Amino acid sequence: MTTSTQARTQGLARDPQQLRHRMPAGRWARELGWRHLVGVVAILFAVFPIVYVVSASLSSTGTLTGSNELFADVSGANYAALGATRFWTWMGNTLVIGVATALGTVLMGAAAAYAFSRFRFAGRRPGLTALLIIQMFPQMLAFVAIFLLLISLGEVVPALGLNSKLALICVYLGGALGVNTFLMYGFFNTVPRELDEAAKIDGATHAQTYWTIILRLVTPILAVVALLSFISTFGEFIIARVVLQSESNWTLAVGLYGWVSSLLEANWGLFAAGAVLSAIPVLALFLFLQKYIVGGLTAGSVKG
Amino acid sequence: MRRSILLASALATTLALTACGSGEGTAGGSGDEPADDAASATAQASGSLTVWVDETREAAVEQAAAAFEDETGVDVELVQKNFEDIRADFLAQVPTGEGPDITVGAHDWLGEFTANGVVAPIELGDKAGDFIPVSVEAFTQDGQVYGLPYAIENIALIRNTELAPEAPKTFDDMIAAGEKAGTKFPFLIQSDGDKGDPYTYYPFQTSFGAPVFEQNDDGSYRPELALGGKAGEAYATWLGEQGEAGNLSTDISYDIAVEAFAKGRSPFVVGGPWMLEKFGDLDLAVDPVPAPGGQPAQPFAGVQGFYVSAQSENALLANDFLVNSMSTPQAQTALFEAGGRPPALVEAADAASEDPLVAGFREVGATAVPMPSIPEMGSVWSFWGVTEASIISGKADDPAAAWDKMVSDIEGSIG
Amino acid sequence: MSRARYQGAVTGSGTRPGAGFAVKLVLVALVDALGVFGVLAAWRAGSWGILAATVALLAAANWVYFTKRSLPLKYILPGLAFLLVYQVYVVGYTGYVAFTNYGDGHNSTKEQAVDALLVQNERRVEGSPALPLTVVESSAGDLGFAVVSGGEAEVGTADEPLAAAPGATLDGGVVTAVPGWTVLDRATVLQRQDEVTTLRVPVSADAADGSVRTQDARTGYVFQPVLVYDEAADTMTDATTGVVYTPNDEGQFASADGETLPVGWRVTVGFENFATAFGDDRYAGPFVKILAWTFAFALLSVVTTFALGMFLAMVFNDPRLRGRKVYRTLMILPYAMPGFLAALLWAGMLNTSFGVVNQVLLGGASVPWLTDPWLAKLSVLGVNLWLGFPYMFLICTGALQSLPGDVYEAARIDGAGRWRTWRSITMPLLLVATAPLLISSFAFNFNNFTLIKMLTGGGPRFDDASVPLGHTDILISMVYNVSGLDGSAPRDYGLASALSIVIFVVVGVVSAVAFRQTRKLEELS
Repeated sequence: MTTSTQARTQGLARDPQQLRHRMPAGRWARELGWRHLVGVVAILFAVFPIVYVVSASLSSTGTLTGSNELFADVSGANYAALGATRFWTWMGNTLVIGVATALGTVLMGAAAAYAFSRFRFAGRRPGLTALLIIQMFPQMLAFVAIFLLLISLGEVVPALGLNSKLALICVYLGGALGVNTFLMYGFFNTVPRELDEAAKIDGATHAQTYWTIILRLVTPILAVVALLSFISTFGEFIIARVVLQSESNWTLAVGLYGWVSSLLEANWGLFAAGAVLSAIPVLALFLFLQKYIVGGLTAGSVKG
Repeated sequence: MRRSILLASALATTLALTACGSGEGTAGGSGDEPADDAASATAQASGSLTVWVDETREAAVEQAAAAFEDETGVDVELVQKNFEDIRADFLAQVPTGEGPDITVGAHDWLGEFTANGVVAPIELGDKAGDFIPVSVEAFTQDGQVYGLPYAIENIALIRNTELAPEAPKTFDDMIAAGEKAGTKFPFLIQSDGDKGDPYTYYPFQTSFGAPVFEQNDDGSYRPELALGGKAGEAYATWLGEQGEAGNLSTDISYDIAVEAFAKGRSPFVVGGPWMLEKFGDLDLAVDPVPAPGGQPAQPFAGVQGFYVSAQSENALLANDFLVNSMSTPQAQTALFEAGGRPPALVEAADAASEDPLVAGFREVGATAVPMPSIPEMGSVWSFWGVTEASIISGKADDPAAAWDKMVSDIEGSIG
Repeated sequence: MSRARYQGAVTGSGTRPGAGFAVKLVLVALVDALGVFGVLAAWRAGSWGILAATVALLAAANWVYFTKRSLPLKYILPGLAFLLVYQVYVVGYTGYVAFTNYGDGHNSTKEQAVDALLVQNERRVEGSPALPLTVVESSAGDLGFAVVSGGEAEVGTADEPLAAAPGATLDGGVVTAVPGWTVLDRATVLQRQDEVTTLRVPVSADAADGSVRTQDARTGYVFQPVLVYDEAADTMTDATTGVVYTPNDEGQFASADGETLPVGWRVTVGFENFATAFGDDRYAGPFVKILAWTFAFALLSVVTTFALGMFLAMVFNDPRLRGRKVYRTLMILPYAMPGFLAALLWAGMLNTSFGVVNQVLLGGASVPWLTDPWLAKLSVLGVNLWLGFPYMFLICTGALQSLPGDVYEAARIDGAGRWRTWRSITMPLLLVATAPLLISSFAFNFNNFTLIKMLTGGGPRFDDASVPLGHTDILISMVYNVSGLDGSAPRDYGLASALSIVIFVVVGVVSAVAFRQTRKLEELS
């Protein structure tokens, strides 16, 4: 289990390719081979249900629970049928809401994390704890209060009322300060304070320090938080379902839930195709951000 | 009265035209309209109606709405919701003033809706006679009608005539015929894991003489349980036996039952008209559910209809739309074609009955009993299915005792 | 993170203080403009609560950004504003609901309840005919109905009972003109539909004969009220029996002998909901089991996902390993699926007779994954493991790489074995690093209603309990049941809110304590 240590001490810079060639088969199996084995098993566990969904999405007749013959018949009918639904509108809505929420969360969360990390003020520690705790309120009943709140807001500013994507984004931004702030707070703490001091001596204001120095150094964690926020927005349907009333405003999660929530109108094939397609933006984003994620969570968590 | 008939026929014309030529029938229809004064006078009427519909009904309601828009000049906005969400959302949103003017719904929501004062009565007047009586009765409470019915649905026995040429007389006949057919399952009836499916099993239960609640003479239910006692225990014992014999299984979900039947793995399936579209080119017949007990097997009748919100600011329009636009044979037929649920309006039902399968369901439906709409039914559902499932799966060693415990638990819950 | 990079950043940016101030000014001006717009809009709409909140937030924003003393707030305020409006308010409102009887039968305001009672208790006079009806207006501006009764036209208003209108023109059985009255066209009728639907035209001078009303302005019917509301005395009277109902503290009209009318309204009931929450004997037995399972479920979910995530993170943390990117990406897949979908999917896959797990993976076995009490618990944990390990994997992957190398060096010199190094160095450091995230994961799972609801629905049921609860029910799904939100009893939002608050306090206290502990741990290392 200390192979990570060994990797460090034996030199990270060496080309893995070369290592592989120099290594005797026995040692390869002991040090790397079993990792591949674990990897394959883990991937089977992770991917098997998804293969099942893909199979259902390609089947023209099968129902999800009743078809155990994977890829018994392959047709693109379900994917083509998505064109006749509002699927692509929902996809667009979801992307708009997801991206806006992710950006807002990063901007506000990072600013708060900076304050908690760099300034010493009364109520700092309780404030941090409170942020963690307030997010733990069971959301089951929140929809009643959110609904009434949006009705009142909508009477004043319709854009912030029911059935508005902006309103939903605002509701999601209410959770911008929370666990994510913690993640960033930890990361900010690892950026040496000497940098701030030096900048101050050079005559930079706190805002300049924040925008031009700190934020650049913590880009990785910003990417991570953006991803986490995007994913959670992507899958959220309880509040979205209450806020977005007309079908053209729905998000993917609301729309897909509608397709399966009713037993009799089970559109499993359509639903499966939609689910497969809707996973693609998340995966694409992850692939794009992977280098940040591995680096991003790195330093941050050390001083939770 | 004649005037409203004329009006109905005018609407019918417009409706029919909009139905065939999408949108181009509006101007052409007015030429031979006998009541064109109404149309011209109201061309600039203000107001708008919000209607909640679910996916399967949206297209059909849209047709009627388009005709109504042309006739009155009001704007009808359809909001698509999940059918399951409508009940709770209507209850939550109507008091805030945000709810719709009209919503589609099932008759068994009525008890809860009136207790919360979210629905307004609808006066059908003489039109009530145009509907199949049970459909209006289902929406009636305390002498007031609260919904415009549009469809009645009930389950029956669907038979693959290739595998079983004759309708079975009794439950045992059916099993024998199913075994003779040599298919994987002698017959199929859906359940839902350990939650059970008492709705689909209800005809079996009634054949033992154990209905859920006592019924008054006018067909309405009173909250006194009737499913206990000797009759109920006999039914429970039967469930246990059949579960052990493998004829009943809680693992057969709706999806599994439909797929197995569609693939010819059983000659019989107990189910409703909503299944038919999945059965494609099979040769089918619809028969009464064969009774395992001594009495006729009566399924539940579920009535679908439209409710008007008690807080609607457009009550007049809403009633006008329902009573005069949605109760026409054309509108009811359009809803039937969109959702496959047999119409509640006699004239539309007669037309739909040209299809022998629809006629079959309607025939079975004549013996059906409306699903109770009293609020106490909620307590029944939450114990009923689970008990049936545990008896069928053999988890309850003593079916009769499990049934008795269920009855006392429900009584405890109703309070 | 070197000094060189910092210097590059400063020289590269080259901003002057003046520019920053200008940006701030523009931004604050923008916020102020929006705020003032909001204030005006709130003033126009008469929403005083929103007006006050907007003014307060606006004042706070201006103070914070133009004073030198509130440096931290400058950074926290934007997020805090959203937090206050959309989260703290929501919690506060739920707290308020906990003290009301909001729920079935008490769904709305008193005014609406009165309306509903009156509407529901107006009966069409038996055997009365349908009257073709026209809406008319008198020269004095009073709305009236012109109806055709027995082939003759009659006209009347709310104050004047129906009387024959000899000069009226009939066309197609409907009145089209009445001397002295204006026939309203459909557009006008629709504009005044509220007046039209509430208009009651008495049939005769005797109120007992009933009055004509219409719902569609085309046909009228004779109705008689069963309940009469006396606004001054605030009482309901049953016209047939003469019983008088007066409002009580519970938000219902009640007669002297305690009989109540069905539709009630919302009132505050003090601590009654909290008392009810712990007062029902039928829930006493299951409650203990459910509480234990809730803690076990939440804890085990965190432990298993964390353990698997950490293990995999360590396995793939070897840079010599080829294809790491592919492994990592594929392992993230479960995280890309919305949770409700995964639960539904697994419920199908774990079906005893037909699920792919039994049929294909286990070659036709019939393992009762979701219907046996212990296996169901195992399945719930297993599915949650599938859903949750990618998150932990991500976090641990990051945390692992940041562990200080010198500590390992020291351990190696001390001759510590792999296991020992892991147990006394890697593990504690990882725990410290991820503690807040683990705590929040615990809280999330404590209330993971979606998973339980979609996967098992709480089942299999307790055999010995008299309430519809089962072996995999957690506290929040029990709340759902107790308060009737699952439809098994009349809905009681007041009770549900009270229980939510209780759960919130429990989770909050547990988390706060755990948080405090990790800080100690942090200081130790």
